[in-house]
Amino acid sequence: MRQFSLEIVTPDGVMWQGDAESLLVRTHDGDVEILAGHADYLASVATGRARIITGGTERFASTQGGFLSVTREGVKLVAITFEFAENIDLERAKRARERAEEAISRAKNDRDIVLAKAKLKRAISRINVAEMK
Amino acid sequence: MAATSMNDIKARMKSVKSTMQITKAMELVATSKLRKAKESVERSRPFHEILRAAIDEIESSNEIKDSVWSMPTEGKRTLFIVIAGDRGLAGGYNSNVFKTCKSAAEGTEPLYLPVGKKALEYYRHRGVEIFSDELDSVGEVSVGDSLAIAERICEGYKAGAYDKVILVYTRFVSMMSEIPTTEVVLPLEPANESAPLRTSDPIMGGDPEEILEAIIPDYVGGVINSAVREALASEMAARRTAMNSANKNAEEMIDTLMLRYNRARQALITQEITEIVSGSEAL
Repeated sequence: MRQFSLEIVTPDGVMWQGDAESLLVRTHDGDVEILAGHADYLASVATGRARIITGGTERFASTQGGFLSVTREGVKLVAITFEFAENIDLERAKRARERAEEAISRAKNDRDIVLAKAKLKRAISRINVAEMK
Repeated sequence: MAATSMNDIKARMKSVKSTMQITKAMELVATSKLRKAKESVERSRPFHEILRAAIDEIESSNEIKDSVWSMPTEGKRTLFIVIAGDRGLAGGYNSNVFKTCKSAAEGTEPLYLPVGKKALEYYRHRGVEIFSDELDSVGEVSVGDSLAIAERICEGYKAGAYDKVILVYTRFVSMMSEIPTTEVVLPLEPANESAPLRTSDPIMGGDPEEILEAIIPDYVGGVINSAVREALASEMAARRTAMNSANKNAEEMIDTLMLRYNRARQALITQEITEIVSGSEAL
């Protein structure tokens, strides 16, 4: 399969760089899969699962926020967090889910609820990705 | 007489030496922390650079002409994000940041977001209006914290609580030099159109305005995050330099004290000899 150059960047640094056959990410408009030769494209990224196919193997990751940009030169995924399934600490994610659920039940105002819900969503996304591997 | 002055000098030397031990240890700690901080600066840079390029692209490539984010404003009411350190003993590191901020704030109606214990103490003491006091330890600001505060900053900006956001921090230039800098975060500076990446307008995955809305807080968070990393590296570099010159001064001081001590000792011996000689003559 044809490959394209892919770069995944987070505030903690470049998480992945190399050639890939496919990148699947969840945008705010739904899941989008990028293959080699894709037209120029811009989208904002939501919280969810991402999949890279490189050298015939699939790798899954949990990603949150940021931006996807496709140009002739290559594909850039700029995410706030990007964690490969094998790097996710499942126990920690489960604890984070419990804490977020607790925070929602204790929340006093809308702000707290929004923040806690975002945390819950991230935790669930991590758990889902980690349990798939 | 000479004996008491000798004891004084000895006590003085002892205290200088023990101070030097502390400054030496601090220099070592700063050096090792600086190495880590430098790496973290380099890692944090690409994120907001790429986001910035993407924002420029969205703004220049389509119908968004009067976006709230890029409309030039008077900058009357300005939010200053001031990043300083948690501790002193870093030469002029903290006070230089405050000085830079003070001159930038002239003629505006300022609102402050202090980051770091020293910054918070400084602005609290002055009784100025503070946007939030939750970032009271610059060493513990995580990526998540930067993004959370960025979200609130963007909300306030959209609601019109202030019409300009300026970041004041110390840019890390090299191990030997750090420069206090101001940077306008919002409104966005006009796009740099010198190097267009694309030949045609890209397909947008959704409404361009919504995309912009979604990524601007991330961009602001990225900018704050890397400014915090830069400030941390600068603080360590400044502390290292300050401690290094403290060590040099201490060494110099010990040298002069040693000289004075030896002179006093010599004077005492000479005096004793004279006394003995004149005593034996008297016999």
